[in-house]
Amino acid sequence: METDLLGHPLTDLERELMRVYESLKKLAAAPDAPPCVQQNVRKALACVWQATHDLDLQFEQLYDYGV
Amino acid sequence: MIDFFPPGGQGPEAGDQSPLMASPYWNPKNETLARAELRALQLAKLRRLTSWAYARSPFHRRRFDAAGFHPDKLRSFDDLARIPFMTREDWMASQDRQPPFGDLPIAGPEAAIRYHYTSGTSGRTPIRALDGAKDWEWIAEMWAYGFWAFGVRSSDIVLFAFSYGTFIGFWGAHYCCEKIGALVLPTGNFTTEMRARTILDMGVTTVCSTPTYALRLWQAAEELGIDLAASRVDKLIVSGEPAGSIPAVKRQLEQAWGAKVGDTAGMTEIGSIFTFECSHQPGGTHIIEDNFIEETMTPGGEAPVPYGEKAERVVTSFGRGFMPLIRYRTQDMVVKVPHSTCGCGRTGDIYEGGIQGRWDDMKLIRGTNVYPRAVEAIVREYDAVDEFQILITRDGLQDEISVCCELKSDRAGEWVALQKKLERDLSDAHEGLRFNVTLAEAGSLPRFELKAKRLVDKR
Repeated sequence: METDLLGHPLTDLERELMRVYESLKKLAAAPDAPPCVQQNVRKALACVWQATHDLDLQFEQLYDYGV
Repeated sequence: MIDFFPPGGQGPEAGDQSPLMASPYWNPKNETLARAELRALQLAKLRRLTSWAYARSPFHRRRFDAAGFHPDKLRSFDDLARIPFMTREDWMASQDRQPPFGDLPIAGPEAAIRYHYTSGTSGRTPIRALDGAKDWEWIAEMWAYGFWAFGVRSSDIVLFAFSYGTFIGFWGAHYCCEKIGALVLPTGNFTTEMRARTILDMGVTTVCSTPTYALRLWQAAEELGIDLAASRVDKLIVSGEPAGSIPAVKRQLEQAWGAKVGDTAGMTEIGSIFTFECSHQPGGTHIIEDNFIEETMTPGGEAPVPYGEKAERVVTSFGRGFMPLIRYRTQDMVVKVPHSTCGCGRTGDIYEGGIQGRWDDMKLIRGTNVYPRAVEAIVREYDAVDEFQILITRDGLQDEISVCCELKSDRAGEWVALQKKLERDLSDAHEGLRFNVTLAEAGSLPRFELKAKRLVDKR
């Protein structure tokens, strides 16, 4: 992903945020994570979803990730 | 041992000193977005939201199909008008058909982390709301737009005079303050006296409550000999009633507390606020337009209403994907004016005078329309009035309207002159309608912590 919802190129900060966001999504779906990891990752994912949403980097729902 | 915070500014304080932390905007990117870009962003989100709702909410799929609308038809912002309106009645009927939640939610309670409900301003079937984890991040975030704009920072000590019950109210504001890094004092189990004493003892800088309760808290403190104007409180953030933007109420509160009063407005259907007053206090509240589409329509009709005219607000929310709210008719009475009315630099338009009441609050008395907010705006011009109640009765075939007033204990001598003048002012503002202004005994009228209900219709 190279642009935000308005088609503007991503800044370095925005690119890094999206990398973290996508990593957290993968972790939230990991089948081998113990409860302490899974639930804390979900909390972190909710926070990073908000930051990326604020910057118009994505507009998607995460209920299928338990978030 | 690892030194996580070595000298040289690597600790949390270093982050707080970044230039953007001094920004007056919580979200500088979107709060100052050019109007054309704001529209483009709303359209991009609307396409995704309607696709989501169509795919996952049987409620919306049914309504869209019945209206011949499909999300693929959203080509420009003007296509918003193709989407059918959603009403509280539709939603409640769905709850009645499939209790307890109806078929609006995109999943069952097993996918949610919180449940809130409220009877709402107009009573009737309670709204039952489910939210997921990210919904709660968003709920707090909307409050953060408002609290940051009014000057709340990590150095603040914030007291919530709120019951922390099933009514969603200030829950999101509490989490917003934690997010900002302020020290939060939840006082759900406190008496009014305990709150007044805590404000002094803890050096509270910000108090959050309904406007009615802020006035009540100050009065109670005064009776106890506690001078809240001498406290550190410099911000009162109010919500839950239109009174927060009534000039006379605001003036009374600001004088009594020696603090600035910032209005906000939200609704249970959204879960958070959608509009807030910034520190410039422009006489209204900015709409959070990167997260909401706020249309102004003729009350109950379909014609758009231009800037500067009274309208019903119709909201589409880009938060709370659990229960998508799309073109929801609120019955809130608003007057939208351009963002340029305020000099703060935000590009979100403004509701002049905040939420000015509800269209369905209107009472017809002998052919004249009476709105409780309009009556309150006049009564609050009289600072000798401590509390009041509007009473509507029927005498034979004729409706009567009375305003019962309690006076402050040291102002009883003003009654005769006040009664005549208030009757005249109320009548002048209502096409000559006769109001009976009566005196109530001290302490006899109800006091309110949450939404005040000052109108009693006995017809």
